[in-house]
Amino acid sequence: MKKIRKLGQKKWLVTLVWVIGIVIVWEIMAFRVAAVKRTPENILPHIYQILYSFIDSSPVAGGQTALMVVASNAVATLLRAAVGFLLGMGLGFVLALLMKLSGIIEKLAFPYLMLIQMIPILGMAPIILSLTGDIGTSRIIIAAILTFYPVAANTLAGLKSVETEKYELMYSYAAPKRMIYTKVLIPACLPYFFTGLKIAAPMAITASILVDTLQGDGGLGCMLSQSLRHAMSIYVFWDIVLVSAVIGILSTKLMGWIEDLVSPLKRIDRQIGRRGGK
Amino acid sequence: MEERMNSKDVQIHINHVGMTFKDNKGNDMEALKDINLDIKKGEFISLLGPSGCGKTTLLRIIADLLKPTKGSVRIDGMMPREIRMQQKFGIVFQSPVLLDWRTVRKNIELPLEIMHYDAQRLPERSAEMLKLVGLEEFANHYPKQLSGGMQQRVGIARALGIEPELLLMDEPFSALDEFTKEKLHVDMLDIWEKTNKTIIFVTHNIQEAVFLSNRICVLSPHPGRLSAVVDVDLPKKRTLDIRDTLHFSELVAKVRNSFEGGSL
Amino acid sequence: MYTRKKNIFVRMSENVNVQKALGVILPVLLGIVIFVLWQTQVIHKIFHVDVFTLPLPTRIVSIMIDNISDILINTKATVFAAAIGLLIGSVIGYVIAWVADRWKGFGSGGLIIVTAFNAIPIVALAPVMTNWTRDVSPDASVRSMVSKILVVMIVSIASMSINAYRGLTELKPYAMDMMTSYAAKRREVFWKLQFPNSVPYIFTALRVSAPNSVISAIVAEYFAEYIIGVGRQIRENIVLAQYSTAWAYILTACIIGIVFYVVLMIVEAIILKHRK
Repeated sequence: MKKIRKLGQKKWLVTLVWVIGIVIVWEIMAFRVAAVKRTPENILPHIYQILYSFIDSSPVAGGQTALMVVASNAVATLLRAAVGFLLGMGLGFVLALLMKLSGIIEKLAFPYLMLIQMIPILGMAPIILSLTGDIGTSRIIIAAILTFYPVAANTLAGLKSVETEKYELMYSYAAPKRMIYTKVLIPACLPYFFTGLKIAAPMAITASILVDTLQGDGGLGCMLSQSLRHAMSIYVFWDIVLVSAVIGILSTKLMGWIEDLVSPLKRIDRQIGRRGGK
Repeated sequence: MEERMNSKDVQIHINHVGMTFKDNKGNDMEALKDINLDIKKGEFISLLGPSGCGKTTLLRIIADLLKPTKGSVRIDGMMPREIRMQQKFGIVFQSPVLLDWRTVRKNIELPLEIMHYDAQRLPERSAEMLKLVGLEEFANHYPKQLSGGMQQRVGIARALGIEPELLLMDEPFSALDEFTKEKLHVDMLDIWEKTNKTIIFVTHNIQEAVFLSNRICVLSPHPGRLSAVVDVDLPKKRTLDIRDTLHFSELVAKVRNSFEGGSL
Repeated sequence: MYTRKKNIFVRMSENVNVQKALGVILPVLLGIVIFVLWQTQVIHKIFHVDVFTLPLPTRIVSIMIDNISDILINTKATVFAAAIGLLIGSVIGYVIAWVADRWKGFGSGGLIIVTAFNAIPIVALAPVMTNWTRDVSPDASVRSMVSKILVVMIVSIASMSINAYRGLTELKPYAMDMMTSYAAKRREVFWKLQFPNSVPYIFTALRVSAPNSVISAIVAEYFAEYIIGVGRQIRENIVLAQYSTAWAYILTACIIGIVFYVVLMIVEAIILKHRK
């Protein structure tokens, strides 16, 4: 147990050293920029300036402080991303199951699944907006397509990773197909499914922010464009860069946490870890 | 080579079974040729031979995991498929094939769940099986926490839990170390004595076959065929010491010499 | 006894060649069905869109042919940004992986940071890069190109560094012990064992980052100063309500993505020919 704790501490320390290193490099650059530029906050503000803008009580737009603007728009962006994400997740999982169930569906869908991976869906955002005419719908569509591919591909890989012996075992019990799925295939593919979700979550958020920039309908992306056009303090832009990075990282972490809660395999690893630590 | 006996004692009747596979180049490959064998109820039969002799193929045909291209198998007068549909096969594979996300107890209960066994009696049944293989204390452990030998014992407990007509074992101990293997050999004989199941045991280890079984079917490769059947006239109750007796050595030699062309 | 006569469908479904052919025929058929539904405006009726915003396939292709010289200029800009960014980013990613393997303690911490950077949305990255490259050149086209390359580069680093690190460390059992027993120098261990071992992992990384590089280049173009590139043309034409032209550029973008991927697969097939 002591050993494990020591290792954990060390890893934590290593990451901290790296973060400090990056902060130092950032600040050196910021000082240099501040010395030569008339409006250094457009290029590279000091980190404390960005952080201060979060607690600054002076209004940046419509009587709202920067924090209020970022927070309310972040919630809007996240909620919109979540709808598309959940939709893509459900469709991706169902398609993977169908592809596993039927060879014909697999043959029909597989090349198109590959195609989704190859073509720049994000680049199609403006046209999808024109097609649907509604920014909410297009956001959901794009976030769903981007989520769909990694979930479907990974879940299918998980379903296919089940060893032949397990099928033979179930076959020897004359188990009906439904039971092979509920008792073996679906539990076995869960880790892969979550790998897909971890890849998809930041993509769905990126999609949501990108669609925000297309129309003045609120959301982080919309505020980002406004701030860039100096319609409000440029610090809102930096706040959004920072917040969106943190949200992106957290979204992947969140999927990991949900997996820890839901997936039996993770639970077992934890239990074994605890027992092994005694 | 034919091994026929009085028909009323016979449980498994293997009649002119042949199996031809297509290899990668599309050529025919004869894995089994004209196998004839009768197995009585309660026998411990070893299918012994080098790799490529078709011993696993024969086991898989009996288990309805493969359909023979020639001949037929009858178990209690029925086709293997009917026996499988009645869920009367207990199979132990070379690897334990346990589900990582289920505890040992839940793994043993898996086939019982599939057979809609009375849910209230499940824990009782799995506890009984765990006792049989000596793993009572590990009921709530997960497969990953067990050694290879313990995992294989869980596999055996799972196979026996469904009260199978037939216990089919495909080189179940070949991946284990010698010490674990010896222990499981003794356990296996104990289980055989207690349950009186018919056991078909595939192996490439002559000592293992002699120590465990009451009859050894020697198979030779290219094409896979039954080249000898050796009766093991050792007492049913055996201890590890029996391997040091002269008679045991003679039996081992007899089996070894029965391979056609001395292919071992 | 078991050889029951099988009907033609069963025999067909067991034939390997038939299965292979179906893998091609079925998707092609689906493609044709979609094309026909689109061309005959059935899709327009189902989704309540007009021919103006969703032009017919034939119209898109004819627009593409008419504007081929413009399209080629913009394609060149996008492909250049994507390819150069992908190349530089992948090299940097590999070097990071090498450093992480060479100095295990602090190096692998750097790997965690790199993966964290990977979660930053391109949408946030692109304007930052535009800001940072203002002094690079007085020429807006050069500035924009550098900023696009930087965006693609950053996006490509993470997947390469993670996969290459695995390629450098996940060796065959005893391979490293064998090298140690030969008293091999670090350089020899790298060139004779680690690098060859990492080649398939490099392709795994590229399979993720090659399509991503095209996407990043296109999104970066939205935020770039200088108006050029397939991505920017999609947006500009939509603003001008020239939907047919926008669709022609979308088709171009898809073709670029597919070509990137297919080229990668061909190179992989050639280089890894003897490994499979």
